[in-house]
Amino acid sequence: MDESSAAADSFENGRYKYIHDIHNGPPEAIDVHRIVLQRSSQKKLLIFCFLALLLFASPPFFFFVQQLNLLTTLPWSLLVGGLFVRLLSQKLVKKESVIILPAFGVQLETQYGSGRTIRRFVPISKILKPVLNECVTPVTCYWSLALIIRGEEELMLVFKELYPPVKMLVPIWKAICAAIDVEET
Amino acid sequence: MKSHYEKSFDQHRTKKCPVYLLDQYGYVPIANKRIVTKSVIWPVENRFITADPQLYPTSTVWIVFSNEIVLSWLRANGVFLHEPKIASFFFGLKIPDIMSENGKHRILMVSDFFFPNFGGVENHIYYLSQCLIELGHKVVVMTHAYNNRSGVRYMTGGLKVYYVPWKPFLMQNTLPTFYGTLPIIRTILIREKISVVHGHQAFSTLCHEALMHARTMGYKVVFTDHSLYGFADVGSIHMNKVLQFTLADVTQAICVSHTSKENTVLRSGLPPEKVYVIPNAVDTAMFKPAPERLSNNEIVIVVISRLVYRKGADLLVEVIPEVCRLHPNVRFVIGGDGPKRVRLEEMREKHSLQDRVDMLGAVPHANVRSVLITGHIFLNSSLTEAFCIAILEAASCGLLTVSTCVGGVPEVLPDDMIVLAEPDPSDMVQAITKAINILPQIDPQTMHLRMKKLYSWHDVARRTETVYDRALRCSSQPLLERLSRYLTCGAWAGKLFCLVMLIDCMLWQFLQLWQPDRDVEVVPDATLTSFRPEEMSWDSETLR
Repeated sequence: MDESSAAADSFENGRYKYIHDIHNGPPEAIDVHRIVLQRSSQKKLLIFCFLALLLFASPPFFFFVQQLNLLTTLPWSLLVGGLFVRLLSQKLVKKESVIILPAFGVQLETQYGSGRTIRRFVPISKILKPVLNECVTPVTCYWSLALIIRGEEELMLVFKELYPPVKMLVPIWKAICAAIDVEET
Repeated sequence: MKSHYEKSFDQHRTKKCPVYLLDQYGYVPIANKRIVTKSVIWPVENRFITADPQLYPTSTVWIVFSNEIVLSWLRANGVFLHEPKIASFFFGLKIPDIMSENGKHRILMVSDFFFPNFGGVENHIYYLSQCLIELGHKVVVMTHAYNNRSGVRYMTGGLKVYYVPWKPFLMQNTLPTFYGTLPIIRTILIREKISVVHGHQAFSTLCHEALMHARTMGYKVVFTDHSLYGFADVGSIHMNKVLQFTLADVTQAICVSHTSKENTVLRSGLPPEKVYVIPNAVDTAMFKPAPERLSNNEIVIVVISRLVYRKGADLLVEVIPEVCRLHPNVRFVIGGDGPKRVRLEEMREKHSLQDRVDMLGAVPHANVRSVLITGHIFLNSSLTEAFCIAILEAASCGLLTVSTCVGGVPEVLPDDMIVLAEPDPSDMVQAITKAINILPQIDPQTMHLRMKKLYSWHDVARRTETVYDRALRCSSQPLLERLSRYLTCGAWAGKLFCLVMLIDCMLWQFLQLWQPDRDVEVVPDATLTSFRPEEMSWDSETLR
């Protein structure tokens, strides 16, 4: 897309960073809201896991295979560690975005650490209303944004993996409400 | 880089006038030492300082986190206050002495018993919350999840209810895990900016846990006891010990009758000055008498209660045949269900009273009034009652009440509206005879109007508001002093309670490190009147 994009808003809050872009171009302005998990915590977590695995994967090899020396066991532990880190990066979320295409629908994206992206598209006619829910669990209470879909019993969560604070959810909620209102009129 | 306070401290020190920079407990945060001079007096309850104006004519006193009572006392005694604002979070010392803004409180009601379960305690919490909301306070209720009703619900008037997904394990009580509920209670207290925690019913484990955690975190706590309990059996002894633990450190307590106050004070060892008596009330708008007066040819006696041992169902079995024998024009209507229903049916069969005794089965609360207005007399045979709301409802409907003289029942109604009897069948039969004779003098409408003046939930809410005001004015005490109160509970129990509280404090500190208070988002006060997104007060400016 080569249209001009204006960074309308962006702010940070601890672990999450909220970025709001508006792409002005044919046919209409497209609203993009992104929530990025801060890199520092992710990287630290990865490094920590790698080191922990290195530390703990090596001794069992020494116990079981006593004839082998360090030179042969080290590549094995590195391999196992590397596999583990790759698996983890596939599960770790890098960022989640909400792209509002007016008169079309809403696209929800989840991008993982390994680059894998999962996209879900919801046509605008299927969305009844976006709602901000307070979810109560046995240990905590947090806000979540969900869409009420016509014809379905369950709510569709906009952010499946991340738990962004309510300050970041409110502009997205307002934007989706506005898009639906425009569609209805 | 010196802070603003440190700079002013130095400035004043050079002027050669004594400067006291103090917190509520007399500590100087900068120097971290305690100022105790000859003229400084520290009464035990309230940490006042008295800087004698004669000795220190130009003393500047800085108060950091104190409350209005201390400040006004100091001003009245001629002490010059520099920056007499309440400054909190000074130097990282955080003591949550949360003062309510403009006198309105933010109350958290905690109990295992709330709607959709039905009963006296649930009704009490609901009506009290509604009347407090009308007075301008904010009320949030916390209870456990019922079946699949879990999460946040809003009731009439914006009453927010948290159905926390902890499964009940025994008689509607949550599993008592001691520290399991600490995270969710801390989250709710911070996000709703609660100032007072109000627990209901001694039998509710969630209430005890919530009060314990609220005290650990420094909130003011009020407890209401709704029932009378015994002293002799094993269950009661354990329950009383738990109650002693909770009430050792409660800020204020409320009981529903003077008998209940005696009972609570004896069971828990609480000083009687801390206990207030606020009786329950009845919704007189809902319980109106029948529009036309019933004829006195056939006298109908109504009984509505759970048919269990506590409510005296066995007494009914003895009383009903005798009364039917003595008075041929008397009919009984029995509403309610329970284990003793079988005995009543047997009694009916044995004395062939099928046409004179109607058994209605369980009566939903919405239909209670329609059953009451079919009768002239209301019979209450319970063996123990702290305060009987059922007889209030009956009196509001214009029925004359005959009741056993137990617990708090004599305190409920004026003497001309009730006939009391010992819980003995022959005595009760005599009382019913007396009531039948008095019946022509009773006017239901007059009775209803009197009840309207005597009892109203708005009155209860106003009195409860006074209790909250007193609770918030009590000073916060440091941990050591609070722990010393637990030691008085008993030789072994005292030490055990202290240990429990210490572990709770440590867990709280750990939770504060794991998830600091500022990471818990505060719920914005959205008004429920408007539904359009543009009109909602959810601006990004107010949220930041």
